[in-house]
Amino acid sequence: MKKENIRNFSIIAHIDHGKSTLADRLLELTNAVEKREMKDQLLDNMDLERERGITIKLNAVKLNYHLDNEDYVINLIDTPGHVDFSYEVSRSLAACEGAILIVDAAQGIEAQTLANLYLALANDLKIIPVINKIDLPNANIEKVKKELVEVLGFKEEEIILCSAKTGVGVKEILDAVVKKVPAPQINLDKPPRALIFDSYYDPYRGVVLLVKVVDGKISLKDTMCFMATNCEYEIIELGMRTPKEEKCHELKSGEVGFISAAIKDISGVRVGDTLTVKKNRAEEPLAGYKEMKPMVFSGIFPSIPNKYDELKDALNKLKLNDAALEFEPETSEALGFGFRIGFLGLLHMDVIISRIEREFAISIIATSPSVVYNVYLTDGSMVKVDSPSKMPERVKIEHIEEPYIFTNIIAPSSYVGPIMELCQNKRGIYKSVEYLDPTRINVHYEIPLSEIVYDFYDKLKSTTKGYASFDYEVIGYKTSDLVKMDILLNGDIVDALSIIVHKDFAYPKGRAIVSKLRELIPRQMFQIPIQASIGSKVIARENISAMSKNVLAKCYGGDVSRKRKLLEKQKEGKKRMKMVGSVEVPQEAFLAVLKDE
Amino acid sequence: MASSVYIHIPFCQTICSYCDFPKFLYNEKWVYAYLTSLKKEIKDRYMDEEVETIYIGGGTPSILNKEELKRLFKIIETIKKTANCEFTFECNLSDITEELLIILKENGVNRLSIGIESFQKKNLEFMGRTADFKNASAKMNLCRILGFNNINLDLMYAIPNETLHDLKKDLNLFLKLNPEHISTYSLLIEEHTKIYIDKEEYISEELDYEMFRYICRKLSNAHHYEISNFALKGYESKHNLVYWNNEEYYGFGLGAAGYIDSVRYENTRNLKKYLLGDYVKTKEIVSKEEKMKYEIMLGLRKLSGINKKEFKQKYGLELKEAFNLTPLLKMKDLLETKEYIYINPDKLYVMNEILLKII
Repeated sequence: MKKENIRNFSIIAHIDHGKSTLADRLLELTNAVEKREMKDQLLDNMDLERERGITIKLNAVKLNYHLDNEDYVINLIDTPGHVDFSYEVSRSLAACEGAILIVDAAQGIEAQTLANLYLALANDLKIIPVINKIDLPNANIEKVKKELVEVLGFKEEEIILCSAKTGVGVKEILDAVVKKVPAPQINLDKPPRALIFDSYYDPYRGVVLLVKVVDGKISLKDTMCFMATNCEYEIIELGMRTPKEEKCHELKSGEVGFISAAIKDISGVRVGDTLTVKKNRAEEPLAGYKEMKPMVFSGIFPSIPNKYDELKDALNKLKLNDAALEFEPETSEALGFGFRIGFLGLLHMDVIISRIEREFAISIIATSPSVVYNVYLTDGSMVKVDSPSKMPERVKIEHIEEPYIFTNIIAPSSYVGPIMELCQNKRGIYKSVEYLDPTRINVHYEIPLSEIVYDFYDKLKSTTKGYASFDYEVIGYKTSDLVKMDILLNGDIVDALSIIVHKDFAYPKGRAIVSKLRELIPRQMFQIPIQASIGSKVIARENISAMSKNVLAKCYGGDVSRKRKLLEKQKEGKKRMKMVGSVEVPQEAFLAVLKDE
Repeated sequence: MASSVYIHIPFCQTICSYCDFPKFLYNEKWVYAYLTSLKKEIKDRYMDEEVETIYIGGGTPSILNKEELKRLFKIIETIKKTANCEFTFECNLSDITEELLIILKENGVNRLSIGIESFQKKNLEFMGRTADFKNASAKMNLCRILGFNNINLDLMYAIPNETLHDLKKDLNLFLKLNPEHISTYSLLIEEHTKIYIDKEEYISEELDYEMFRYICRKLSNAHHYEISNFALKGYESKHNLVYWNNEEYYGFGLGAAGYIDSVRYENTRNLKKYLLGDYVKTKEIVSKEEKMKYEIMLGLRKLSGINKKEFKQKYGLELKEAFNLTPLLKMKDLLETKEYIYINPDKLYVMNEILLKII
């Protein structure tokens, strides 16, 4: 095969527009997988991905393709579609020269279509526009074509019509990849440089790296080194995924593959770092990719205290292929030892929590998410605060700034009213409404990030019957009149329940939280006041009345074992409770308090 | 060594809506076969020890006719009794006749337990029972005349739609009957009962609590010796105390539970199996740790609580070594004297919660 016959590309799309199904079809067409080995959504490895129908981790596969008497190697790098994971997209894109942009024939352009397209354009990729799901009865091909031409500026003749489900148009896509996507620059003579775009931990092989070799070649037995951390390892295994692993002796400039080197120490490996070879060391690292900063912070605590070390280990392993995950130890009076973890968004948080619980079998309690506030003090200094518990005393605060986002909310124009109402309720500042076509709008607001981390997306989906799609970019900080609100149980502040709220919203929020907690916390042996307070001022209060009776007064016929079983059952129920002072609080209470009106 | 025997008679004239005990409508053929099997069970399993209490419960033991009763007592004759053995027989008001009482007397029964439950019309309708105060009063007189001087009455409360006023009326009537013992039951809605299937709901926790408190106050002249049992001094049920003292006892008959040689067992509730001699359904071998937990769970039902010295003698370690009671004593959930540890009477009504903290 000629060395210029390599193509590296990814597929970008809004969630659910058929990206993973198209990837399956491409694998089938290039005989990468036997029909009998096919299972739906082959590239989605994690159970969590298949269950939720989303792609979280990117994945790379080498495909062989024959066209016009030439053999081609096509590396397909799968990407996630959700906004939280756009950093994964940018990692994929850094390893590509082209991208297929998929738009659903029935849905048209959605918020993440735009976000991902902009990322691809920023990476200088050749874009191949594809309209997918043309077999759907409600497909509106002409309308979607018009959107692609008018909104995104494609030429009508370059748009490929396809149905990943039936296979129509799939070959045209591969042909277009070969013909239109440029071959990677091949520099075999330069000192070797490879971009690490992903890694994962394999219990038998240690850390496995996924790399794109940019310059030179990397061979078995070479001593490789990471340019950022200077760690050195001898390469034990090299290969490509087809998608089964196929071992080889070297990876050359332009190729994408995996490397393992019995790396047990996770800390030396950084996704985005450049890998070179010791005996022919490169001078300059590669540019890497756009790094994402965590936007949402939450305290994560093991529900059983002695699981702290296991939790730490789990986080280290997750961090390995999730560069955006940041964490540091945190102590809570109520919840004990745990970690403050930075996430890219709520879905990211959800996914990480599920992965910890499933893959590592550690039951955890998450506290309400917080954004990072810039707190200006009266002495002229500024501190960044990512947790209500770290908020300085009120008297020392001059003013507080909070991060704002700029929204892209794409929806049928009939929902403009409810969408604007929702944004207003979330302290949004109206910017504009853009018409994509006469029936579809893109609504732009500036909204405090803290307002969308809780339940904005769910609310948006319900007010628009699921028709709206949503994406955002962080635009910077603005001053807000914010206060820290504490929640007191039985007179004691529960640090894990404190939140930062806008002053105008403090009263309703305080009342809502207090009444929600009253529902969630079961009766105890004594009456418990629940209070919301700002400083020393109580702004809301409710009581959980004392348990009045819980005796199994009957015990006829000496049926003692049965009573014992009932007691054991009650005891099981207690395991989902956390003792906060003298009060038993169910785990859900720590998060659920913020998901309401 | 067991010093007590429970015998279950699973036949009734009518079925009460809340009852989840094994029971069948009375049928002569079945009773005959049942007594035959009961005889075999006792013969197979009874190990000849002298017993201090016998309790014949149901179902409705008093529904048996003269011949059947004679057969039953003939079977029971094989069980050796101590001189002052407490021998209880459960009766329905309507079954009490001179004839019945004489048979009971002749056969050594010295304690009656009468299931009245309530005199309030709506309660009785709910339960599917009948009771009438005048009739009850007459029957009590009859019992007294025939020399029964240890009588328990069952009182059920916390019945849907029942008010505190209803309970007050019931309690006043119960007291007029001058029983030596009153067992109170807060209604439980158990699976497989009519009221469960009808999706009946409990009264509010608050009202249930208020009723409990009212009963305790109203019966304050009596000895409140166990969470739901009240007796004149000296008339505490010895049989029930065997349960609360975590002592061993035989359970004979359909669905009966027993505790013999460190094994807690439960008999089958399947009449066919029982008649075929397939008696035991489940067995639980109780380890020392488990025994201590039972001791707590049962012992703390007694208002006097657990005797520390006896605990040490039984298990070889101090009660406070076996369980961490310090926080509960500190919170005054438990109280302590030189000899006993017991639940704070003000917190009896949340006993389960306290037990959960200990075991």
